[in-house]
Amino acid sequence: MLSGITLDRLLTYFFTYTVIVTAESFWLWQFLGRLHPLIVHFPVGLLCIALFLEVISWFRKSTELRAGINAMLWIGAISSVVAAVFGLMLVNQEDYEGKGVAIHQWSGLATMLLAILTIIALRSGQVMLYRSLLVLTVVGVSVAGHFGALLTHGEDYLTSVLPVGGKPNAPGLSGSNFAFASMGSNGQLTTKQIQDLTVEVRSILAHNCYSCHSATKTKGDLRLDQKALVMKGGKHGFILKAGHPEASEIIRRIRLPADDKEAMPTKGNRLTEKEIGLLSFWIKAGAPWPGGAEKSIYRVAALEPRLPVLPAATVDITNPIDRLVNVYFHKNKIEWKSVVDDRTYMRRVYLDIIGLLPTPTQMQAFETSDKPDKREALVKELLSRNSDYAQHWLTFWNDALRNDYSGTGYITGGRYDITKWLYGSLRKNKPYNWFVRELISPNKESAGFIKGIKWRGTINSSQRTEMQAAQNVAQVLLGLNLKCASCHDSFVSDWKLADAYAFANVFADSTLEINRCDKPTGKMAGRSVLYKELGTISVDAPTEKRLRELADFLVQPKDGRLYRTLVNRIWAQLMGRGIVEPVDVMDNEPWSQDLLDWLAYDFVQNGYDIKKLIYTITTSKTYQLPSVGIKDADLVKASTYVFEGMVRRRLTAEQFADAVSLAFNPIYQDTSVVKMLPKTIQKEIVFPRASLVKNDPFLTALGRPNRETVSTSRTSQANLLQALELTNGTTFNEALKRGAERWKAKYPSSDLLVKELYRKSLGRDPMPKEMAVAQKIVGAQPSVEGIEDLVWAIALHPEFQLIY
Amino acid sequence: MINRWNRREFLQKTSAATLAALGAGAPMASLLQGCSSADKGKPKLVGQRGTADTVILLWMAGGMAHTETFDPKRYTPFETGMEGNRVLSTFKSMPTALDGIHFSEGLQSIGNVMDRGTLIRSYVAADMGHILHSRHQYHWHTCYEPPQTVAAPHIGSWIARELGPKNQVIPAFIDIGQRFTVGEAEELKAFHTSGFLGNEFGPFFIPDPSQGLESVRPPIGMDARRFERRNQLYNELISNSPVGEFGSDYQKESLRRSMEQAYRLLNSPEAKAFDLSTEPAHIYERYNTGRFGLGCLLARRLTEQGARFISVTTEYEPFKGWDTHENGHTRLEDMKCQIDGPIAQLILDLEKTGHLDRTLIILASEFSRDMMVEGRPDAKVLEQVNQPDILSDLKFYGMHRHFTDGCSVLMFGGGIKKGFVYGKTADERPCKTIENPVRIEGIHQTIYHALGIAPDTQYEVEKRPFYTTPDGKGKPVMELLA
Repeated sequence: MLSGITLDRLLTYFFTYTVIVTAESFWLWQFLGRLHPLIVHFPVGLLCIALFLEVISWFRKSTELRAGINAMLWIGAISSVVAAVFGLMLVNQEDYEGKGVAIHQWSGLATMLLAILTIIALRSGQVMLYRSLLVLTVVGVSVAGHFGALLTHGEDYLTSVLPVGGKPNAPGLSGSNFAFASMGSNGQLTTKQIQDLTVEVRSILAHNCYSCHSATKTKGDLRLDQKALVMKGGKHGFILKAGHPEASEIIRRIRLPADDKEAMPTKGNRLTEKEIGLLSFWIKAGAPWPGGAEKSIYRVAALEPRLPVLPAATVDITNPIDRLVNVYFHKNKIEWKSVVDDRTYMRRVYLDIIGLLPTPTQMQAFETSDKPDKREALVKELLSRNSDYAQHWLTFWNDALRNDYSGTGYITGGRYDITKWLYGSLRKNKPYNWFVRELISPNKESAGFIKGIKWRGTINSSQRTEMQAAQNVAQVLLGLNLKCASCHDSFVSDWKLADAYAFANVFADSTLEINRCDKPTGKMAGRSVLYKELGTISVDAPTEKRLRELADFLVQPKDGRLYRTLVNRIWAQLMGRGIVEPVDVMDNEPWSQDLLDWLAYDFVQNGYDIKKLIYTITTSKTYQLPSVGIKDADLVKASTYVFEGMVRRRLTAEQFADAVSLAFNPIYQDTSVVKMLPKTIQKEIVFPRASLVKNDPFLTALGRPNRETVSTSRTSQANLLQALELTNGTTFNEALKRGAERWKAKYPSSDLLVKELYRKSLGRDPMPKEMAVAQKIVGAQPSVEGIEDLVWAIALHPEFQLIY
Repeated sequence: MINRWNRREFLQKTSAATLAALGAGAPMASLLQGCSSADKGKPKLVGQRGTADTVILLWMAGGMAHTETFDPKRYTPFETGMEGNRVLSTFKSMPTALDGIHFSEGLQSIGNVMDRGTLIRSYVAADMGHILHSRHQYHWHTCYEPPQTVAAPHIGSWIARELGPKNQVIPAFIDIGQRFTVGEAEELKAFHTSGFLGNEFGPFFIPDPSQGLESVRPPIGMDARRFERRNQLYNELISNSPVGEFGSDYQKESLRRSMEQAYRLLNSPEAKAFDLSTEPAHIYERYNTGRFGLGCLLARRLTEQGARFISVTTEYEPFKGWDTHENGHTRLEDMKCQIDGPIAQLILDLEKTGHLDRTLIILASEFSRDMMVEGRPDAKVLEQVNQPDILSDLKFYGMHRHFTDGCSVLMFGGGIKKGFVYGKTADERPCKTIENPVRIEGIHQTIYHALGIAPDTQYEVEKRPFYTTPDGKGKPVMELLA
């Protein structure tokens, strides 16, 4: 949320010049330290009155006040020592820094010393020395007191109430704010800092407050989305007082405990200390909000393509990906590891490119081959297996384009599938620009994507089919979220309601009326592409023509965003994690901008060829690095992620089903979906792969989404429901049974059977120990039950379940 | 990603404080009062343990007419050629355990236990134009109107996500009685889902309660010994495998952990709860009115073993069950037979074992029905039922149109008031809600409140907050709570 360098810099600045409470401080010292402002009033008061009485005694030449003065001096001096000690505790425990603090500290210590000297002089009877020292002490106490008060109350604490140029102070607010005490005397923000600060502040307001305090909803007549309106305040008056966080209503409200009626925000998360600190700091600094063109408070990725300078090739680093990753590794102090062995590599590319396991024969041939370019040759061969390739990537695209063979909408003709078109496009490796063009400006077979799902009855206007088209095109093809903006101006991006409607209106036969939060506004939508620099839609042209225009605009090479989104998705599929995450939020920061830009640029240069892209990635050294295991699923998507190699992944539902089908026995026999495809293609399909069957409890349990909404990533974590399905679900167990009978007939000896099973499923021979365990399961004479159990155990083995 | 609102951490901290307060002699009531006194603003429930641990939803699928069940109106017996407009109820009404409260004939057993629960007579379903059961059901179960841009989770998934399983080996969200092989199955699947919360919190389906055991026992044909051995060998294979060198990562860990969990469930004594055949015959028979009745029995057994959320449905299939497009009167005789005994028995049994105190039972339907009005009285929507104004045949005698403006909901146990009636519908057509309307947000928030789930529980999905109820709206209906 609060991202990046600007914040870090600001906070460094903030911590350097101001004060924070460090959590580790021992509480007693901290507590005593905080008594300093209380104790300090004793020496101030007593010493001043002592001098006052001393002056009176001097004029009157009387000694009747002597005893009182002496007592005051003693108490004053002792309390000044205590105050000084407590003050030092305070400054050490709570990280006070700054010029004001230094003056206060040294004048305070000097005063204490002077007070002690005064006592000594008094006791030794040197009256003139004593009186001079007393005067000096009082001067000292005044100076120290003044600077102390500045720290506590702020510089214009007194002057602000003066009738001349001063602003009235908010009554009843006595809380002092140590945190920003020394800002006044020290901090002068540069223009750049002010800009950064304002962006951060607006970002905090946007994330926490806009949902109730902006154009869409304006609770308490308060809007926080524009400078003038922030300064104007709401129904109850001003919400901030420049220079005085402690007197600002906004700070008071966000600091209130959550259960207070006046606490803000009323909904959602509380503000963090950091955020409150930043807002306070901003107000303390005078609540600056520079005019002129406002910089976006969100990170906005560049639209246009960019060709980064490729670092020079070396002897072992030639692939452009490796050359760029090399720079990244260097920067992050990561050493290149040696690439994985042939077997691991072969299993990887098989699963990644065609979604199947290699056979033992293929494995052996590959391993024994000594051709230097055998890996490149293997990838080429796999990519040329058009049908297998299509059946594997169909799963990914079905998820993304929410294409399914069953689902809501079909029952009333409110939904169209695009299977035939999609399968054909993948099989032909249709250039991506054409692929996109046909999705947006569709023929009959590809129309399902922008037609969306139409439910009967009245639906929320942000879910009308035209808006679904706008949202899905934006999310899937452009990696941007238009969902918020289809209901109201977004709180998480710069996209406005009008933008979303103008985009949706391109898909509409008759002009859409803009609805805000499902209420008609009376305003009619315009018609435009989200990125206006891509072209101008002919507003009054028929829908078909408009869609053709839109398609042409979006696939232009200058639409770098479209291609970055695609290459990032493919990268994420092959590497387990995108260069940008989440893959639908392309405005997020990539871990390597150069790599992302180069891949996208190269993709366009190479004729929008997805297979070529896959080739470049899978033959890179980078792809061939050993896989990386990650302890916690959240770390994979975290912004702190550092790339070190492919992230170990779990087989998808479809890969798993196909792997079992191929290594042991087909899981699916239902060919109803396959029959939807043209006859010529049907012939190529050896067995019904899981990508070509209707969703069922088995696939659902293993993570196949119900494709009601687009879905561009799946979780690879296992769970109880899944384990139950795999342990006693009928789909899996019946396939095991059928297969076991077949295998029993084929392999009379358990030795042979176990070996073959290991080779087919794990691509290796069993180790002697494994052989012993496996033979225990199947029995010397393989039994059907024994075979079922062994296959079950292997299929659920992490080595089988993971792409490593 | 998903930011978890850390309720547990809060509970740990506050429970210490609560204990301290109890130790100091503060009466429990005052503590709870502190939680609920501010119900004018937003309810202050954070950290409250709640009054229920388990929820059983008894789902009357297909639209249950309130005037024929829990909110009967003037009875008019059938005569050939009568005007439909004269008919408000096709059944006589009969008294219940509550003074002055009548139920429609055929619901005596539930009527007799009404002193244990609350009757809400003022549920108002959403106005979504053209009536569609699956959309209203989606709305009831997720609190969101379909379609949604983000996959909305079922209430059972929210509860599973926030509270987790009550007993580790019993899935947190169990769905009994709905088959997905009958009409509109896809529309039903759309809300029987954990949505963006992730598969882990999805429903565990038991379409046929008499086959419940099959879902949690070793595969058919595998005896306990073989099952045990298979699992043991599986673990041996893994420990002897060279992949051990890959060390720990979350996929591997979660795979092994969940396999272990599944094994434990399938091998656990709790699994017997799924087996209805071990129930004494005379009790089994009290529940045995068909799949719904046995679903209630299974729900009872699972509740006793520590289930978290169970839904038992009469099953939705277009034009079947409560979805009476004709023969409404005759069909309802049968429907009442199916539900009356088992529901009352469920309440009594749970009361006997002491589980009712912390089990919230809810009976509800997506909307009601009427003979004349389709949708709501003041809005014209597409006519879908062939219902003549003059009843020439008995098959037209019944509530066949879809009515959204006044429905009945029952609640028992789990902190709900006993013997209480809330809301009212008009005594003449249209028999719509005229007092204390309750909407779905209120029902959900009441359930969450009883469970101690904060009203503003939310996760960030695609950078925007997604609350349990749309925009976190709706308040618990505090009047329903004891």
